[in-house]
Amino acid sequence: MAQDQPLLAVQVALRKCFPVVEEQQALWQSTLQGCSSLLSSLSSLAEQLQAAQNLRFEDVPALRPFPELQERLRRKQLEAGDIVLDKLAERLATLLKVRDTVSSHVERVFQTYEQHSAALDVDAVLQPSVVSPSVADMLEWLQDIDRHYRRSYLKRKYLLSSIHWGDLASIQALPNAWDQISEDECQTLVSDILVSVSFFLEEPGSCAVSGDLGPCSGAALSAVSK
Amino acid sequence: MCEDLVKRVLPDSGAKTLGIATPRKPVLSVSARKIKDNAADWHNLILKWESLSDAGFTTASNIANLKVSLLSKEKVELESSSPASSEKEEKTSLDYSKELEALCEELQATLDGLTKIQMKMEKLSSTTKGICELENYHYREESNRPPLFHTWPTAFFYEVSRRLSDAYKKELLLKHTIGAELAHTADRNLSLTYLSMWLHQPYIDSDSKLQLESMLLETGHRAL
Repeated sequence: MAQDQPLLAVQVALRKCFPVVEEQQALWQSTLQGCSSLLSSLSSLAEQLQAAQNLRFEDVPALRPFPELQERLRRKQLEAGDIVLDKLAERLATLLKVRDTVSSHVERVFQTYEQHSAALDVDAVLQPSVVSPSVADMLEWLQDIDRHYRRSYLKRKYLLSSIHWGDLASIQALPNAWDQISEDECQTLVSDILVSVSFFLEEPGSCAVSGDLGPCSGAALSAVSK
Repeated sequence: MCEDLVKRVLPDSGAKTLGIATPRKPVLSVSARKIKDNAADWHNLILKWESLSDAGFTTASNIANLKVSLLSKEKVELESSSPASSEKEEKTSLDYSKELEALCEELQATLDGLTKIQMKMEKLSSTTKGICELENYHYREESNRPPLFHTWPTAFFYEVSRRLSDAYKKELLLKHTIGAELAHTADRNLSLTYLSMWLHQPYIDSDSKLQLESMLLETGHRAL
């Protein structure tokens, strides 16, 4: 089946988008890991604050010679907590950036699709090839990925915005709550999709990416067609 | 030692009539150099303190963890009635005790190191005091005293040194107490709080870092 030019334009846009997703997914994963270790620190600080709260300092003879010890310790613990919270806010900003970068690239693909939608042959859009999923599938996957980042970011932002030092038990439970978000979402969604499109990205036709979206040569067209 | 310095300078500084300008300049530049060296020493001593304190924290955590396992082992021993198993347990308990003792010695060595650092800090503070007294002697009632560096009056160097030195002195005392108590603590909240105190150093205010940096800036160790 010969591919028409509008379809090729959408494929070119898809080929540009998926590598960005791959790169952003790596950044997303490493940022999540960074958050996990910061949340463990925060949880440990909450445990220390709780232990000091449970303790009656005046009942410990060894600590009696130390004035304002309990308040001073609490202040230093909270200061350490603020430093961790600042770092978490930075990580959250990175997650937001990943979400927005992916979103804008996905949007660009859909813009290309909209531009050519009138001229697109529906059968061609729905038709997968031996090495490539159908364009319709890939578009749908991009929407899934976009939704995945949006939902995951919101859940994580909501969890982190709920932190307050009056509720030490919740802070101690943060690492679990954080992991729970990961467990609740389909963790392999993005990587599975990237595997599914790997041949499509490597296809000889992908060299047409270096060409422009303008009139394509017949050679490029025949290279893509199967 | 600083008072000695003042006394030593006293007879040589000559009568008032000799003119104050001649002896003042070399004395002041020596003072400035000394204060600049002191600021660098403060920086280095605090760095050393931090690294020793970190090492001590690792040891202290190990002590606390070992103590917890030792206590749970004792509990198991009490509950267990089988003589064969209790004999075996006893052996391991002995091993634990030995390990605990080794860790306590390690922590004591760290505390000795911290004590030495704190003594050097005290010395820095008293040297700065000496420099202030020397300046007081030279200027007497004169209110127009040019600063040694940019803006700080000399007395302010002593003020900062003394504040830092006092803070580390209190902190050292607290750490000694933690070192003495930690291995004898059965209460989980208390041992966790001891560890937290060791880590967060409640007597060293957060602005002490700012004071140190200001001193380094004033003396030209840090570029403006």
